[in-house]
Amino acid sequence: MDELDPVIHAPARLRITATLAALEAGDRISFPRLQELLAMTAGNLSTHLRKLEEAGYVDVDKTFQGRTPVTYLKISRAGRRAFEDYTAHLRALLEGAP
Amino acid sequence: MTSHDEPEVELTLEQRLALIEGETRGVKRAFGVQVPIYYFVWGGAWLLGYLLLWAAWEGGPSPVTVPLVVAVPVFAVLILGAAVTSAIVGVRTNRGIKGTSDFVGTVYGISWSILGGAVAAVGYAIIAAGASAAAISIYFTSAYALVVAAMYLAGAMLWHDIDLLVIAVVMAATASVTGFFGAPGNLLGTALIAGCTLLVGGVIAVIRYRRM
Repeated sequence: MDELDPVIHAPARLRITATLAALEAGDRISFPRLQELLAMTAGNLSTHLRKLEEAGYVDVDKTFQGRTPVTYLKISRAGRRAFEDYTAHLRALLEGAP
Repeated sequence: MTSHDEPEVELTLEQRLALIEGETRGVKRAFGVQVPIYYFVWGGAWLLGYLLLWAAWEGGPSPVTVPLVVAVPVFAVLILGAAVTSAIVGVRTNRGIKGTSDFVGTVYGISWSILGGAVAAVGYAIIAAGASAAAISIYFTSAYALVVAAMYLAGAMLWHDIDLLVIAVVMAATASVTGFFGAPGNLLGTALIAGCTLLVGGVIAVIRYRRM
C-alpha cells in the first residue's frame, strides 16, 4: 500500500482523479459540473483539487463567461499517467494477493 | 480529516478498485443518459408522423383517413419537436464541458441543420420544376432517411458506436428501398421500418445504460 501514489491515494482525490480521467481526452469540465458529478461540497472539492494541482496532476483554467468567473479543470498528462500507474499497481497488488 | 466535511477513511485495495470503476461508470452514465431519449423521440416522430402522412394520402389504402391539413402540421410539429428536444437534451447533458467533445457535439448538431436545409432546398427546386406528388413524397422521405443514415454513420465513426452503425445501415436501406413501393407505400414503409428501428434502438440503449 505504501508504494501507491500518496497524492491520489486519499479516497476523495481518487474519486476526483478517476472522474477527470474518464472524460474524453482533451475535455475540460467546469467546477460546478464536477461538483455535481462527485456530489461533494465546494470547499471539500477545492481543497483536494488544490493538492492535485500542486502535484501537477490537474490543470486549472480560470476564465470568464461574460462577467462570470468560471473555473475549468482537466487532468494533466502527468496526472493521467499517475492515475494509470496507480490503477495498474492496484490491479497487480490484487492479482498478487493471496 | 482531509477537509471539514469528509473524513479520511482507509479503504481496502478491492474498495479502491471498485471506487475507480464506480466513478468511471458514473461519468459514462452521466454523459450517456440522453442516448435513449434521442432514439425514442425520433422513433416516435417518424413512426407517427409518416403514418399520418400515409393516412392522409388522397385515395390511399389507409383504413382511416386523416385530413391533409391536420397531418402535415402535426408531422411538422413532431419533427420540429424532436429536433428541439434533441438540442435541449444534448446541451443539457454536455453542460460544463469544453474541449474536444464540445467541438465535436456542436459541429455534429449543426451538420443536421445544414444537411436538412440542403435537402429541403433541393426539394423545393423539384417542386418548382413541376414534380408529381408521388415523386415529391419519394424524394423528401428517402432524402431525409439518407441524411439520418449519413449522420449516424458519422456518429458511429466519432463515438465508436455499433448501434448507430446498425441503424445507419437500416436507414440507408429504408431510403433506398421504400421509393420502389411508390407513394403512399413509401410513407408506410418508412414509418414502420425507420420508426420501429429507432424505437428498438431506444430499448437497446436503455438496456445498455442500465448495464453500465
